[in-house]
Amino acid sequence: MARKKKNVAKAILMDGSELEYVVSDNPPRGGMKHTYFTPNKKFAVQFFNEDKDANSPLIRARLENIIGLYNPTLPESEGGAMGNTEQTAKYFSRLFCWPVALVELPEFGIVCPTYPPQFFFDKKASKAGLNLAGKDKKSTWFTSRTSRFLEKGELGTFQTMLRLSISLARAVRRLHAAGLSHSDLSSNNVLIDPKTGSCVVIDIDSLVVPGLFPPEVAGTKGYIAPEVSATMELPLDSPDRKLPCAATDLFALPVLLYEYLLKRHPLDGPKIYSTASTEEDEFLQYGPKATFVENPQDTSNRPPDLQVTIHDLGPLLEKLFLQAFVDGMHDPDRRPTAAEWERALVKTWDLLQPCPNDQCSAQWFVLHDVNHPVCPFCGARIAPQDVLHLRLKRAIRGRRGQWNPVGEINLYDQMPLFAWHFLANTYPDEKMTDRTMRAYVSHQNGEWYLVNGSLSGMLSPRGSMVPPGQAVWLRQGEMFPACNHQDALLLEVLKG
Amino acid sequence: MSAFSRRLPVYLLLDCSASMSGEPLEAVQQGLKTFVNELKGDPQALETVCLSVITFGSVAQQVNSLTELTLFKEPKLKADGLTALGGALKVLRGCIAREYRKATDTQKGDWLPLVFILTDDPPTYLEEFDRQVKDIKTLKAANIIAMGVEPYVDQASLKRITDNVLLMNSASAGDMAKFFAWVSDSIRITTLRFGELPPLSTLPRPKKLDLKPGANIQLAPPPQGFTIVP
Repeated sequence: MARKKKNVAKAILMDGSELEYVVSDNPPRGGMKHTYFTPNKKFAVQFFNEDKDANSPLIRARLENIIGLYNPTLPESEGGAMGNTEQTAKYFSRLFCWPVALVELPEFGIVCPTYPPQFFFDKKASKAGLNLAGKDKKSTWFTSRTSRFLEKGELGTFQTMLRLSISLARAVRRLHAAGLSHSDLSSNNVLIDPKTGSCVVIDIDSLVVPGLFPPEVAGTKGYIAPEVSATMELPLDSPDRKLPCAATDLFALPVLLYEYLLKRHPLDGPKIYSTASTEEDEFLQYGPKATFVENPQDTSNRPPDLQVTIHDLGPLLEKLFLQAFVDGMHDPDRRPTAAEWERALVKTWDLLQPCPNDQCSAQWFVLHDVNHPVCPFCGARIAPQDVLHLRLKRAIRGRRGQWNPVGEINLYDQMPLFAWHFLANTYPDEKMTDRTMRAYVSHQNGEWYLVNGSLSGMLSPRGSMVPPGQAVWLRQGEMFPACNHQDALLLEVLKG
Repeated sequence: MSAFSRRLPVYLLLDCSASMSGEPLEAVQQGLKTFVNELKGDPQALETVCLSVITFGSVAQQVNSLTELTLFKEPKLKADGLTALGGALKVLRGCIAREYRKATDTQKGDWLPLVFILTDDPPTYLEEFDRQVKDIKTLKAANIIAMGVEPYVDQASLKRITDNVLLMNSASAGDMAKFFAWVSDSIRITTLRFGELPPLSTLPRPKKLDLKPGANIQLAPPPQGFTIVP
């Protein structure tokens, strides 16, 4: 005990409070900072490697803003971002590992929460020959061939990957909404846990605020936008030099999403761009000549054995991936926004179908076409009588009897439905407090029922009230308002 | 390895002359073990790095041919004899000629090999050494970094091999652990960033925006107590 005591130092924070941390011999050292931990390992205390950075007024100002004004993990009432409530702050504190305090003494530094334990491998995570206990869960472990070294239970399913994809898109949308960009989104700076379907964005302290705080790093190989790679050789002050910004986050974000959902990199294909040198070949591949492996017009980089493609992710995601990696590959303005990604991912969630094949690696797939109910991962086919979609439509204001399609949901036995499946103007984001199941689907003896759990004013196709505990029989072609609420969506039953 | 990924060949040239016997070599042996485990814990490194060990005492030999990390078996190092650094460079040339994959129209090539030399002595067999270093800088067949262990190492001869020369104070277990940690950090940075190696003296600061593709890669900042020879 006495020996341990000796290594504990005291940091004085900006607000005058004290925090103890353990001084270790070889602290983990990154490009700019090195890290110590508090005795309970709940916080990391980081100091700069160089006095120049520690004394930089720009870095200090940036960090003060990140901890206060721009902080989505702190309610506005406690000095966090504008409009942030206690609830949204709590929501986003799960998605970001956001710095919580600045250190004044012994020298300038920052305090961050440590990552939650689910983002570290335990000793049972990897197969023999590899010991990953205590290593953080960089997504490359799960999305590249290195996944073969992990135990099956670590890998999650297509459903959990889609869940964490939504979380990441939401996190980036939140940053961008505040005018920030992460500027170094990569498989190293977003940790994922496919088991629980969660992710956390780390390395927040180099956030870029356009016009105020410039970027410090070009990014990480494979996630740097092509225009940034292509203009790296120009001097920093050249007008043609492209630097990391929100538009380059919007390249890195779909690269990560594509990796999560399809377990491959969108630019890693068979194409040889140059035989002059490997370095040149790589520069062209990620820079000026970057070609999407699934580019429909230019198949030069398409692997010969693509089994699952963006088409299998449903029409919404297919469209956005083409927009990001074909139209927007070299034209940053045409890349979809994080909000568009979030919305498309949330809607795609409603099309999930459990795969009937126990051995299927994905366990879930997107059943977007009722006439082709086949799992793209394993080829298992769903019988036509086991396929049913509900098309959701919403009334057009001021035009009686006219409806706009707003979504489609794929039904399966025991599927839970929520308020946003029945009411227009409800959306399951960080502001949604009502996450109770309102109804569920029952599929028995070839028939489909919608069972009311707690949806008030639920209606049957013939317009009679359906109290909780009772069910509606869903038959092909029927169309009826879900409930007697003024924002009720219209449900249309569509059979396979 | 993925069909479309490139390999990063890493060659470790380890001094196993008599002066390394005892604690120093034990420290190298231990450091090597930790080093391989460290790299195996990084998915990018695990996918791209291939490792080879060349030892030199009175004779130089490749004790591990270029192998992917999961198949790499740590050699049992033995200290003996003089310091055939020239011979080691000759073996290195042969290995690169044999093992380095050039890009072809159908196959991705390897990155320029990274070579780390660790030695605590001036080289012996000077004729061979002279022959080997004559054109080594102009060949540009690899990025070479030389680490000399004080106090007996000869900086000038290392400078003839490469502009990237560092010095460490001792071959103690602590310093050796730092050395291998630094090597694995440098390899990891190489797998994440673009380019080839600039002279060490120009890059005490890592991870900055002046990374030019095909021009600069970065080594990790040297551990405390290690010096860069200008």
